[in-house]
Amino acid sequence: MKKIFLIFPLVLFIVGCGNQNEHLAKGKELIKSDKRRKEERAVREFKLAIEQESDNAEAHYLLGFYDSQEFYETDQPDWNQASIAQRGQHMFKAYQEDSGEYLEILIFDTLRDDDVNVQNAALEALTLVYQQGDRKQLLKQLQKAIKSKDNRDRHDAHWVMANIGKSDPTTMVPILIELLKHNQVGTRLNAVKALGEIGNENAIPVLAALIESGSAKRKRDREEPEVRQLAVAALGKIGGKAVPELVKITQNKGSSLRVDAIRALSTLGDEKAVQPLLDALKEKSSREVVVELSN
Amino acid sequence: MFRNVLIILIFITLAFTLGCENHYYDARLKMEVQQLDSDLENRWSTSGVVVSAITSNGPADKAELSSGELISYVIGEYPVQNPREFKRAVKRAMADDNNMLLYLKGKQPLRIAIRKLGDKVGLEVEGSGSVRIKEITPGTPAANSNAIQVGDVVEKIVDERKIYSLNDYKKSVNEFAELNAYLTFRTTELIGVKIAAVSALGNLGDARAVESLIEILKNSNELALRKAAARSLERLVALSELNPLFQQFQQEDVNQLPADTLDSQHSESAEILGLLLVDRVANTATLEVPFGIQFRHRSKALYQKVNEGSLVKLAEQYIQIATEPEQEIRRTCLSILGTLKPISAIEPLVKVLRDNNEIPGIRFQAGLALSQIGTPAVDALIAAFNEADTAAKDIAASALGTIGGIQTRDFLINALETTDDPAIQLTLVDAIAKIGDESALSALERQRQRFQEDDSAIRIFLDEVFSRLTTHSQ
Repeated sequence: MKKIFLIFPLVLFIVGCGNQNEHLAKGKELIKSDKRRKEERAVREFKLAIEQESDNAEAHYLLGFYDSQEFYETDQPDWNQASIAQRGQHMFKAYQEDSGEYLEILIFDTLRDDDVNVQNAALEALTLVYQQGDRKQLLKQLQKAIKSKDNRDRHDAHWVMANIGKSDPTTMVPILIELLKHNQVGTRLNAVKALGEIGNENAIPVLAALIESGSAKRKRDREEPEVRQLAVAALGKIGGKAVPELVKITQNKGSSLRVDAIRALSTLGDEKAVQPLLDALKEKSSREVVVELSN
Repeated sequence: MFRNVLIILIFITLAFTLGCENHYYDARLKMEVQQLDSDLENRWSTSGVVVSAITSNGPADKAELSSGELISYVIGEYPVQNPREFKRAVKRAMADDNNMLLYLKGKQPLRIAIRKLGDKVGLEVEGSGSVRIKEITPGTPAANSNAIQVGDVVEKIVDERKIYSLNDYKKSVNEFAELNAYLTFRTTELIGVKIAAVSALGNLGDARAVESLIEILKNSNELALRKAAARSLERLVALSELNPLFQQFQQEDVNQLPADTLDSQHSESAEILGLLLVDRVANTATLEVPFGIQFRHRSKALYQKVNEGSLVKLAEQYIQIATEPEQEIRRTCLSILGTLKPISAIEPLVKVLRDNNEIPGIRFQAGLALSQIGTPAVDALIAAFNEADTAAKDIAASALGTIGGIQTRDFLINALETTDDPAIQLTLVDAIAKIGDESALSALERQRQRFQEDDSAIRIFLDEVFSRLTTHSQ
C-alpha cells in the first residue's frame, strides 16, 4: 500500500518531465545564464515552444514577459508581435490556461518588474481578465493587493484599479469608496489616488467628507493629513462638479488644505474659482488689534 | 488611594475632552475661535487660533477683528507701580518664552531676553506709584543692552505670548483681562494661502484679478507675496497677448481650428503655456481641456483690462530702483513693458538704462525692452548713446542693432568710425553685424582695413564676425 504512495509521485514526475517542452526548458536556461543577448535568444525558444505546444501557459507567459520590440526591425512581422498589446495577450493566454497560478503572478509579481513595458503588458493582460476572464476573482485579488502590507503591492493594485476604473467606473468606484474605510493608511491613500485618476464624479461626496474630517472633534474621526491632501488633489483631477467642493475648502479658514485646493483650482481654469480667490486676498492679517474689554 | 486614582481619572477625562474641543466661544470678547486644522502647524509652520465667528457689537466686533484672522500672539501689559509688582511682572513675562518688552519713559521699547528661565534680568527698581531703575547688575542682559540707565522711569512691561492651542489662548486672555481693560492680538498672514491664491489668479487669466494684483504689488508688506503678484501680472500680460488667437476660436465658437490658419508665433506661445495642442501633421490646433476652452471666453476681457493703462503705469513706476528695491520685481515689470511695448514706457526705460545705481543686468533688460518697442525708441536710444556713460552706450548700441533700420544703421556706422573706446567698438561691430545688410558689411570691411596691422580685440572680433557671416552664407 505504501509503495503506491511512493510510485504515484514518481510517475507524475516522469510524466511531467517528459512533457516538459524542450524549447521552453532551453529558453528558461538561457534566461538564467549570462550569455549575450540571452533574452532575445530565449524569446526565440519560447516562440518555438508555443509552436510545438500552443497551450503551454508558461511559454506564453515568458514570451509576454521577455519579448521586446527592441529585438526586431520595424518592418519585421515580429516587431508587431512584440507590441505591448500582443505581450499582454500572451500573458492573458497563460492566465487562460492556468488561471489559478497566473492571476497571482500577474498581480504580485509581474506588475513589480522594473521594466515599464512589462508592467504595461501585465496591465493589458489584467484588463483582458477583467473583460473576458473571472472578474470576481480578479477584483478579489486586486483588493487583497491594495490591502497588502507591502507598499509596492498597494501601489500596483491602485494603478490597475484606476486603469480598469476609467473604462468601467460603475464597478470600480464603489469598491474603491469602500476601501476608504480600511484601517491601513496606505490602502486608503491608494484608493484615494485611484479615485482621482478615474476622475468619476460619484467619488466627490466621499472625498469631500474625508477632507472635512480634518477638523473633526475626535481625533479618531480625523483622516490622516496626507490622505486628505491627496483627496484634494483627487478632486482637482475630477474637476467639473468637484469645483464647488474645492471652492468650499479654500473658504475654510482653519483648513490646512486651502493651499492644495487653490492649486487644484488654478489648473482647472474654472471661473467659479476667481471670486473666492479674490476674497482670500482681502483677508486682513499681519496687524495688531487692540480689543477693549467690557469688564 | 482610591480617591487619588479617581481624581487623576477625572483630570484625564477633562484634559481629553478639552483637547478634543476645537471651537471655543469667548464670552468675554464675544467671538468664537477655532483650533487650526491638525496639520496646518506642521505644514505651514504657523500657529495660533482662527477667528471663526464674531457676535456683532461685542468687543471683538468693535475692535474690527474679522473672521478668518489667525491670532498668533496675545499681547498683554503689566502695570508696574512698585518694586514688588515689577519683580512679579518680569517673572510672569519671562515665563514660557524667556523674553519681554521693557518700556522706559522717553525711550524705544527694549526687548530683553534671558537664556533660561530663572536667569537674572539684572534690574533693581525703586519708588512707588511709579518706579525707576535703581541698579543695573553688570554682566546681565539688562547691562548688555546699553540703553538702560539708572534713573530711567519704567512705564510698563509687555508680554507677547505665542499661541499654539485653544488652551494657550484661553489662559492668556484670562490672565491679561485681569490686569487691564484691554489686550492686543497680533494676527499673522497665512502667507502661503495668499501666495497660492495670487499664483492661481495669474493662471486663471481672469480680468478681475488685475486690480487686486496691482493693489498687492503696491501695498503689501510681504515681499514673497509681492513677488508672486508681479509674476502673476506678468503671466496675465503674456496670456492677454494671445487674445487675437483666442478670438479666432471665439468668433467661430469652436475649440479646434486648422493649425495653418493661426499665427504661428501665437500658437507656439499658447502651446508653451499649455493652452493649445497643435498637431502639425493633421493640421489641427485644439484648445486644451479644461483651461484653453475656459479661457477663450475670458480672453477679450483680460486683453482690455491689461491694455487699459493702469498696468503700464504701474510697471513704468516699478522698474525704477527708487520705487522698487527688489530687483526681481523690477525685472518682472521690465518684462511686462517689453511685452506690451507702450510708447509711454520709452522715457522711464531709458532712465533705467542710464541709471548708474542700477545693476548691469537690469539696465541691459531695459535696453531689451526698448528694442522690443522698436523704431519708436530709436531716437531715445541714440540720445542715450550720445550722452551717457560707457555702460549705457553699450546697451543702447546693442538695442539699436536689434531694432535695425536705415537710420539706425547709419548712426551706428558713424559711431563706429568716430569712437576710440575699444569696449564700445566691439558692441558697435556686433550691432552692425546684426543688421548685416550691404552697407553694414562694407562698413565693417572698412574697419577691418583700419585695424589691419593690429591684433587687438576688435580685429579678432571682426575676423570672427566675417568668418561667421561666410559660413552662414554658404
